[in-house]
Amino acid sequence: MANTIMGFTMPRTGLHHMPLHNGISYANDFPDMSFHGSSSFSWGNMGGFQVEMKKKKRELVMTHAFPDWPHLNLIAVLVQHVDSQRDIEFITNKTIWHLSDTAIKNVYAFYIMFTVWGCCVFGSTKDPFYDGEQYRKDGGDGTGHWIYDKQEDMEAEARAELWREELIEEIEQKVGGLRELEEAGKKTEELVK
Amino acid sequence: MTTLPSLSSSSALSLSSSPLFSRPHLSATSSSSIRTPLFRTPKTELCTTNAKKKNPWLDPFDYGDDPEMEGGSLFSEGKQEEDPRPPDNPGNPYGFLKFPKGYNVEIASLGLMLRGDVRRCCCVISGGVYENLLFFPAIQLLKDRYPGVEIDVLANARGKQCYEINKNVRFADVYDTDDPFPIPAEYTDMIGLLKGRYYDLVLSTTLAGLGHAAFLSMTSARSTASYVYPNVNAAGAGLLLTETFTPETLNLSEGGYHMYHEMLDWLARPARNVPRQTIPPLRVSLSRKLKEFVEAKYKKSGVEKGKFVVIHGIESDSAASMQSKGDADSLLSIHMWAEIAKSIRGANPLFVIPHEKEREEVEEAVGADANIVFITTPGQLAALINDSVGVVATNTAAIQLAHARDKPSVALFSSEEKGRLFVPDAKEKKCVLVSSKTGKLSDIDLGAVKDAAQALEGSMALV
Repeated sequence: MANTIMGFTMPRTGLHHMPLHNGISYANDFPDMSFHGSSSFSWGNMGGFQVEMKKKKRELVMTHAFPDWPHLNLIAVLVQHVDSQRDIEFITNKTIWHLSDTAIKNVYAFYIMFTVWGCCVFGSTKDPFYDGEQYRKDGGDGTGHWIYDKQEDMEAEARAELWREELIEEIEQKVGGLRELEEAGKKTEELVK
Repeated sequence: MTTLPSLSSSSALSLSSSPLFSRPHLSATSSSSIRTPLFRTPKTELCTTNAKKKNPWLDPFDYGDDPEMEGGSLFSEGKQEEDPRPPDNPGNPYGFLKFPKGYNVEIASLGLMLRGDVRRCCCVISGGVYENLLFFPAIQLLKDRYPGVEIDVLANARGKQCYEINKNVRFADVYDTDDPFPIPAEYTDMIGLLKGRYYDLVLSTTLAGLGHAAFLSMTSARSTASYVYPNVNAAGAGLLLTETFTPETLNLSEGGYHMYHEMLDWLARPARNVPRQTIPPLRVSLSRKLKEFVEAKYKKSGVEKGKFVVIHGIESDSAASMQSKGDADSLLSIHMWAEIAKSIRGANPLFVIPHEKEREEVEEAVGADANIVFITTPGQLAALINDSVGVVATNTAAIQLAHARDKPSVALFSSEEKGRLFVPDAKEKKCVLVSSKTGKLSDIDLGAVKDAAQALEGSMALV
């Protein structure tokens, strides 16, 4: 097992090897970020550290129930030796934020969802038609379709009225005696209404 | 391959010559010859479904009417009743359960299936004002043939305006069937709307291909009848339609006044105990409201009721000029109209403009005191013509409206054939036809027009 894992760790060993010589090297403070679950480090090739690191190995085998959200920063440790002053080392810590692909995707997904939700909610609150008298006045069922239905019904009623008028006219022509019939026609009209 | 026909013919010969195979054939003929006198006129015939076309692909099991089927007398012949509801019986505990007209579910299907009743009908009409106006006789015919029918109309935005002056129509909806690429939402919405109204008959004057036929059949009406393309584009349309009409040309409007004669022939067809219907003349009806509105309008322009002649057909690019689609050359320039108007003495010429932008030109050509009225809808035009003494117009809807209101008219046509097509039996309709000799309306003989207009004045003196 150790051998297989070795393959994983090989390119990483350079990173975790604490530098004793001058120059710059990087230490990753979240070594398990990209090796979730099965990640374990074999430090077998590192001699003196072996015993100590075996303890650590056990800890690292543990799986994580929660995502490693706070481990987002990458620390660069800068160790500088100045030739004239042998004992003093200048150590500079630099951290940069670094997000994994998944994390970036999550951030953008959330951003899109928030935007869409925001557009829907705040867009709907500022609809002049929705808030307007035309839509909100008495008589609507709230669907908006009634406007057209009402228009159609008005037209149909107007035609029915026309039909009645024609009928009355025909009766007038047939029977004669216009005045009496006009009164009668008015009466029937009232009755019809 | 060459041996095949000889083989089959020889086998057929052998089959017919052998007594075994000839017997059933003989018995079949004998039985049919016995049965023929027993054939009665089939009482239970559906409304001529697939009568015209004998396409075996439509229904391979359609052997015609079943001779042994017996139909009763109930709901099988004659016209439908206007309101088939039985009278309410106050003593009956269920007597107060009132169904709306045409919704008595227990017996509705009898009439619908046996007699071919039409309770609700939808007319899909292609074209503008002129084409819709000429469809009015068909609507009246439907009303006469199927008493109590509720007729709805589907037309484009211009054509729909006609139904202000038609009393026989219930709903008129706007939908442009000539649009080759309808908006999908509108298309599906309209299908849903039509489906929800449960039509018995859908008539369409749009030339149908497979697409329009599919639209019509998706309304799930009992029978759909439509014009189809007179060319290969009609392929497949007949499969989805109950009845198809094939016009002579691609442009239906070229048929003139009788542009829908194929459809009218079918609608007026005789049925059991119903004689062939006579096709009613074009009539329009005007509401009091409309008359009052138009009266105020023409009084504002300075003419009085019964003392003006309507002039319609001024050249314009407006969509409201109400031309027929079958006669493109039917508008006259305002200068010629001004010439004609000068000869009208007894009454004021009233110029109808289809767009406000024409007002200036008319004033320029005729003079600042010209009487001008801006009218775009057929309803208002009809009301205007109703209050006038007569109409002088080119081939626009104004001519047909004048006939519909029995007003004398002078009609200017680009050719004599057009005149005969669009105004058949002109004398009965009190119409004087003046046509151009060259086939171009602009070359019309103004002298003849003036004479005709004066004759119009003479007739108005008589009136």
